[in-house]
Amino acid sequence: MIKHQVYISSNEVLVDGNPLTHNEKGSALLTELYRNHIGDYPKFFKMDTLSKLGFIASELLLNTEGNRDFEPREDRAVIFFNRNASLQADTHYQSTIQNPENFFPSPAAFVYTLPNIVTGEIAIRNKYFGETSFMVIDDYDEKIIMKNLENAFQDPITKTIIGGWVDCSDEEHFEARIFLMEK
Amino acid sequence: MDELIYTLKQQIIEALNLEDMKPEDIDENASLFGEGLGLDSIDALELIVMMEKNYGIKLKDPTQGKEIFKSVAVMADFIAKNRTK
Amino acid sequence: MIVCVSHNIISPLGTTSAENYAAVKSGKSALRKYDGLWGLPEPFVASLLDRKAYADEKYTIDERIVIDSISIALKNTDIDATSKKVLFIISTTKGNVFLLDKNENGFPKERVRLGMMARQITKHFHNPNEPVVVSNACISGVCAQIEAMRYLESGEYDYVIVCGVDVQSAFIVSGFQSFKALSPDECKPFDANRQGLNLGDAAATIIYTKKDKVNENEWVACRGAIRNDANHISGPSRVGEGSFRALRIALGDLEPEKIAFINAHGTATSYNDEMESIAIERAGLSGVPVNSLKGYYGHTMGAAGVLETILSMQAVDDHNILGTRGFDTIGVTHPLDISNQNRATEKRAFIKLLSGFGGCNAALLMAKGGLQ
Repeated sequence: MIKHQVYISSNEVLVDGNPLTHNEKGSALLTELYRNHIGDYPKFFKMDTLSKLGFIASELLLNTEGNRDFEPREDRAVIFFNRNASLQADTHYQSTIQNPENFFPSPAAFVYTLPNIVTGEIAIRNKYFGETSFMVIDDYDEKIIMKNLENAFQDPITKTIIGGWVDCSDEEHFEARIFLMEK
Repeated sequence: MDELIYTLKQQIIEALNLEDMKPEDIDENASLFGEGLGLDSIDALELIVMMEKNYGIKLKDPTQGKEIFKSVAVMADFIAKNRTK
Repeated sequence: MIVCVSHNIISPLGTTSAENYAAVKSGKSALRKYDGLWGLPEPFVASLLDRKAYADEKYTIDERIVIDSISIALKNTDIDATSKKVLFIISTTKGNVFLLDKNENGFPKERVRLGMMARQITKHFHNPNEPVVVSNACISGVCAQIEAMRYLESGEYDYVIVCGVDVQSAFIVSGFQSFKALSPDECKPFDANRQGLNLGDAAATIIYTKKDKVNENEWVACRGAIRNDANHISGPSRVGEGSFRALRIALGDLEPEKIAFINAHGTATSYNDEMESIAIERAGLSGVPVNSLKGYYGHTMGAAGVLETILSMQAVDDHNILGTRGFDTIGVTHPLDISNQNRATEKRAFIKLLSGFGGCNAALLMAKGGLQ
C-alpha cells in the first residue's frame, strides 16, 4: 500500500500530488530544494546528480511522513529502478581519464559510477540497516517496478519500502517518482 | 607562504565541493579530518589527486597522506618543499 | 524450494563450470601483470579474457560472453528460453561502460545503457520479457539470485536465468587505482601482507526453478538477505554491521555445524577482509571454515556472486573446501578458520557472502538436498 509519494522532474515538484513552489529548473532546482527544505547536510554538494535527486526526493517523502527521529532501523528497504544507471557520473568520470595529457582519475567521481550509491546515501542519512537495491530496466514500467517491490516484502524483516524510479541522463535532465510503501 | 595557503584553501574548496565555504572560513592550523573540516577517506584520495594535478607531487604511499593532510599549514609546507610545478 | 537447474562459468580459466572448478582445485590462476595495457600509466594485475577470441561485430565482449554462458547453461536442459514464463536477470556493475571512451566506435553508444545491453541478450534468445538488470555494486551477483528466488516464489515465472558479467576496461581499472585499492601483485585475501585487490573478467550463469520436492543431489537456494551498513559510501562498516545482519538472516535457525564453509568476499583490501572477520564472529560463525576465491579470478564484480556460488556448489559436491590462494598468515583481528590448501568436508551447505560500495552487503545460504 502506498502511503506517500514524491515526483520531481527538471521543472516540476509534486508531494502527494500537490505542487511544491520553486523558482529554479534542472540542477539549480535540486540546490533550491536542498536549501529550502533540508539545509543541514552539506554532503549533498559532493553527490552526483542521481544521488542528489534520490536524496532530495527521499527527504521530501520522509518529511511528509513526519516523526523523523533518525533512530537506526532494519525494517525499511530502499529499492530504486532507472534507465540510465549512473550515466551522468560515468560521463563525468570518463572526462577525468579521456585525455592522456590530462589524465587524473578522480576517486570522488569514480565512487558515484555505481547507481546503488544513491540508496546507500539514503541509508546513511537515515540510519537504515535494511535492504538497499538498485535495478535497471530500459523503459519506465510501473508493472515491473510494483511487482518487484511487492516481492521485496518476502524479506523476513522488511515492513516498509522507499521505492520507485530515480533517473537522470545528465545534470539538467532527471525524473524521480518515488513512494513510501507499506507491507 | 601566505599566498600558497590561500590558494590551497581555494583549491581544497573546489576539489572537495565544500559549497558555502570561503577560504577565510578555514583555519589553516585546524585538523582537516575528524573534528576540523570533517573530511573523509574519499576526500583524502581526492586531495592526493589535487596535489598531483596542481603541484606535480605524486604520493607513492597513500598512508603518507595522514601526516601531510594534518592541516592546511602542514600541507602547504609539504607542497612548498616538494612541488615540481 | 528454489532449485538450481544448470550453471556455467566463462572465465580465463575455462568455458564450462567443470573446467573452471578443475582449474581452481589444482591451484591455477589467470592473474597476470599488465604494463601499459589500454594506455594506463600504471601497471596492474588482473585476470583477463583474450579479447580477440571474443571479438564480434554484432555483440560487445560483455554481451558475447553472456550469450555464450547462457547458451552453454541451457544446453543440457529442456528449458524453452522463448517462453514468457522464463525471466532473464543480468547482474553487472559497469556493463558496456567502455563505450563512453571517445575512441570507441564499434557499437552504438546507446548500448552503454545496461537495459539496452540486456535487451541484446533477450533478443538473441527470443525471450519476450523485459530483462531486469541488477546493478548493486559488488554484491550484484548475490542480489540477482535473491531476486530470482523472489520471482519464482511469487509464481510468476517457471525459470529465472541469472547471468553475472563484467569485463575490465581503462574506466574500471583507473578508478580502482585512484582509490589506491589495487594490489601491485597477486592479491592475498585475509593475509597479513595483503595490499589490495585484483580485477577480473568473467560471465557466470545459474538457472533456477521452483520445486515442491528435491532429491538429495539438487542444490537449493534456501534464503538470502541484503543489508546496508548505513555508514559510508566507500568504506565498509568498522563493526561489520550490514554483513553481520545479512549473515544472521541467511543462517536463520541452521546450526553453524551444518555449514561446510563461508565463501567470503575476501577481496584482499585491508578494510574489507577485516570487516568480514568481525561480521563472521558477530554472527557466531567463527568456527566455520572461510575461503576466498579472489586469488584465482580477481574480483569479477557483477559476475563474482554467481561465479563464486557455482564454484562453491561444485566444491561441496566434491567434498572439498577450496583453498584460499594467496593466503599465508592471518592478517585480520578476529579469528578465522582459513587455509591456502584444499580441505575435505562432508557437510552439505555453504554461505556466500559479499559486500560492496554504497555500504551494501549480501549473504545467501545454499544447501544440497535442501535443509532437512
